[in-house]
Amino acid sequence: MDIVYTQPLKELLQVSTYFKEQLIVLVENEKDEKVAKTNDLIPCYLIKDSTPEADISKLNSKKKAVVGGSVKANELAVRLKADYLLQPSSTKQFFDLGLALKLSANNTTVVLCFEELLKANSFERHQVWKNYLELVRYCKQKKVKFIVASATKDPLLLRPPKVREALAVLLGLPNDLAKEYLQEVVKEK
Amino acid sequence: MKIEKVKKAIVPLSKRERKRYILFEILNAEVAEKDFYFGFWIDLLSFFGSKGLAEINPKVVLFKGNKAIVKCQRGKENDLIAGTAFIEKIRNKKIIINPVLTSGTIKTLKEYAKIE
Repeated sequence: MDIVYTQPLKELLQVSTYFKEQLIVLVENEKDEKVAKTNDLIPCYLIKDSTPEADISKLNSKKKAVVGGSVKANELAVRLKADYLLQPSSTKQFFDLGLALKLSANNTTVVLCFEELLKANSFERHQVWKNYLELVRYCKQKKVKFIVASATKDPLLLRPPKVREALAVLLGLPNDLAKEYLQEVVKEK
Repeated sequence: MKIEKVKKAIVPLSKRERKRYILFEILNAEVAEKDFYFGFWIDLLSFFGSKGLAEINPKVVLFKGNKAIVKCQRGKENDLIAGTAFIEKIRNKKIIINPVLTSGTIKTLKEYAKIE
């Protein structure tokens, strides 16, 4: 399973079918959701700190993803019982065992968006990578699912599942778990 | 002063360090062999650093068409595959490097990729 942002889907689909992988598309409105569904992709609503409560309450039965990186955002993911928590760690570390335990209870998957890591300069990348090492350790302890996803709009920034699996292993996830989490088939709610 | 040439002792096959070969496929753009070697090396070096890359010890053994066979230390193949994620561009051409197969011999990879 790979996670990408909404548009343009046509090229993204071509590359992802080459890698034989299921795509989950992050959408922000109903129009994008329809586009994803017509392309036989699984839509997942992207929720930010700034998303109004009224909009969030409408999405009860749908798949949800929260962009983390701050205490507030990470707690929002716990409160919403989000399916995916993207980038839970920025250059500062906001992830702890308590949060991992809550995520494990909610069956939330922690996602390292690969594109974000690529954009960062070497110093930031070092800090994010260092925090991720710790985060994976927490995830392993509390059995929280952890995957590396491309999370891109550019089809040429998609990475093959083998590569992302290797990155997860490099971060400290056991080989079998890295494979299992990435190959998990996601069903639409 | 006369410099005497000393012949290097041949390390027996059983005592040599083990290696692994990985077949990579380059998607999207055509890249020249030299450019691939340079681009591959630079991005891996920025990610692993000198020490890390020396431990992996990658070497491009064969490059034909859009396929490349890279040799590395045994046990470090996972690191090498992970490192290729950071290779985004070679000579301003956006590429995706797809690891196809890992093997202990070049022969298997050549047969798989149909390279002569």
